[in-house]
Amino acid sequence: MRPTTRLAIATALLAGPALAHAQNDDIDVCFAYQDLETEFWVAGHSAMTQSLEEQGVNVIEVNANEDANRQLEQIRDCITQEVDGIIIIPQDGESVITMIGEANEAGIPIAVFNRPPNPDNPHDAIVVVADNVSIAEAAVEHLAEQAKALELDRPVQPLIMVGALADTNAIGRREGFLNVIEANGDLFAEPIEVPTEWDASVALANLESALQANPDVDLIFTSSDFLFPQIRAALLQRGRWAPKGEEGHMILGGLDGDVTACELIREGYVDATGVQDLFFEADSTVEALMTAIGDGETRPNQQIDDPGFALTQDNLEERHQDMWGCVLLDQK
Amino acid sequence: MATPTSVTDDEPPSPPSGKQPRRHGGGGTAARLAARLLMSDRFVLYLTVLLFLAVLPFIPRIASAGNFSNLLSNFWPLLVIAVGQTYVMILGGIDLSQISTIAVASVVGAAVMTTGVDPVLFEKTVLWGTLLDGDGAGILAGHVWSMPAALVLMLATGAAIGALLGTIIARFDIPAFMMTLVGLLFFSAVAVWLTRSENITRLPEAYGAIADRGLFGVLSWSALIAVVVTVAAHLVLSRTVFGRWVFATGMNRRAAIVSGVPVRRVILWCFVISGVCAAIGSVLYSARLDMGRPAFGDNLNLLLDIIGATVIGGTSLFGGRGKIIWTVYGVMLFVLLSNALNLLNLSYFTVFIVKGCVILAAAWLDVKRRELLAL
Repeated sequence: MRPTTRLAIATALLAGPALAHAQNDDIDVCFAYQDLETEFWVAGHSAMTQSLEEQGVNVIEVNANEDANRQLEQIRDCITQEVDGIIIIPQDGESVITMIGEANEAGIPIAVFNRPPNPDNPHDAIVVVADNVSIAEAAVEHLAEQAKALELDRPVQPLIMVGALADTNAIGRREGFLNVIEANGDLFAEPIEVPTEWDASVALANLESALQANPDVDLIFTSSDFLFPQIRAALLQRGRWAPKGEEGHMILGGLDGDVTACELIREGYVDATGVQDLFFEADSTVEALMTAIGDGETRPNQQIDDPGFALTQDNLEERHQDMWGCVLLDQK
Repeated sequence: MATPTSVTDDEPPSPPSGKQPRRHGGGGTAARLAARLLMSDRFVLYLTVLLFLAVLPFIPRIASAGNFSNLLSNFWPLLVIAVGQTYVMILGGIDLSQISTIAVASVVGAAVMTTGVDPVLFEKTVLWGTLLDGDGAGILAGHVWSMPAALVLMLATGAAIGALLGTIIARFDIPAFMMTLVGLLFFSAVAVWLTRSENITRLPEAYGAIADRGLFGVLSWSALIAVVVTVAAHLVLSRTVFGRWVFATGMNRRAAIVSGVPVRRVILWCFVISGVCAAIGSVLYSARLDMGRPAFGDNLNLLLDIIGATVIGGTSLFGGRGKIIWTVYGVMLFVLLSNALNLLNLSYFTVFIVKGCVILAAAWLDVKRRELLAL
């Protein structure tokens, strides 16, 4: 990138979005995402494109349609086009390592949004990620309080719907859940782990089997809110789909903060959900990348954490507008 | 026994039945030229050149050295797999199971040579204690011959899957579409079952070197492997008795049987070739991502590319007609098309719509060719 462009970016970042819009139009940013299958990724895509639009850069969008090999080819095509920066939502934390390496080699700064590379990544990237462990802990702690209030004469039986464990997000969420369960060892029985592979049909089949084998489940935590429709389907069959306060209510929690979770928490079916601040994550990604481009830094290496929070039945009134799913729901 | 289509690269193919192409009465020079062009072996090559020249003014970067390297990196693995698909299509069949073969071969090969997977992820898999030792390393990890052995195992996996499907198709007369669809579902599930959907990483550096792009994408291991496979497949198909049997079976199976062609054996071997080619493609794709990846079996995009490129090349969906060189041209066109659509920054659904239209056009041209051959 030319020095004048760097100066323009620096000025734009200082002068605000309006000026940025006018001065960044010679900057090309490649936005490569893995798919738009779930509400979360649709909202993430929307937040990201909005942030990029505010910066006034030219955006080249490519969708890998859940194909890691295709995403690699698309990243290479973006590199061929000599883009100034790359933002990627990868298919998983392992395949992205090769792509980061290609961007590093080409001298193009790359930012990884929300799905971080695995810890053994030897390359450099801006990584913006939710603190999955602490967000999950916050949500599950609220669920634990609800479980205590049940005052059962037996250990409470928890169940977690685990994401694809090649995904760092899934690993972090599971860890946060298990931390709280272990911290309340006298309250909980050994948790049941239901693999979902981040696939709705797999999740439903495995959850139904788990509930069949363990009818005494008292608490369900899903590693992603997008699986609430499958949980509802499974619980309806067993007469356990009831809002809080009614007989048969299953203590329910999740993580993401999507529109469905907002609806269900308002209706009383869901007790708590961990919330990622998508707008913060998108803005942080774009700002960090633009700064790197402005500074002429080709291999920026930093991690930006989204601390997140838990939206619960207790803080619903005061914090619902901080959850992206509720914002989108209220806009409908 | 019917003889296979045999033509030089400069002449339109003669009809296998010995008939001459139908001459349309009253047709002018332009019509004859169009018909000749349509029947030319190099028709798809001409289209590829035309596409390249057409998009060049809009995306000059398509002619850059870096982009040629990208094109070739995408070209080699797809070519190898499409070569295998060509054999099955000449038989009049289709092999939908190739992507599941890629997945299983990828997982099996990676499992034996990985230097260490995360025990938390793998200790509940069937690989633990079988192909992975108690520390999470592959049973061959660290040996000098771990990579060659893994490659042999991958090829054997492809051959075994091909042999199984080919045997069932040949023995029980089950349509290839149906049986390979079953194979696709079954072996995709096997790949996921083996690993519980986890990727197998930490492969030897030498393995990753297979995917190095080399000088402009030409002087690379991928190129060498793909060229050897393609040339060998061409020679077998065009210069051997087995090749003639493949065409004969695809043209008219009943006539081939009467003529003494061992049809069942031919079908079996064509599926073995398809499976081995898929496994070689698996070697190239897995090396590119540096991992064994069970999700290859869910990659319907890749299946679309394989079948699309083979059909676009001119290999007939009805069987009995096809050439390896046609597949080379088809893959060339398909890879260039994908690359151009990406560089034009079209949305992904536009890319799929355009690709679908191109495959439809290829199928239509196939029908027109058959009409011209008066088959």
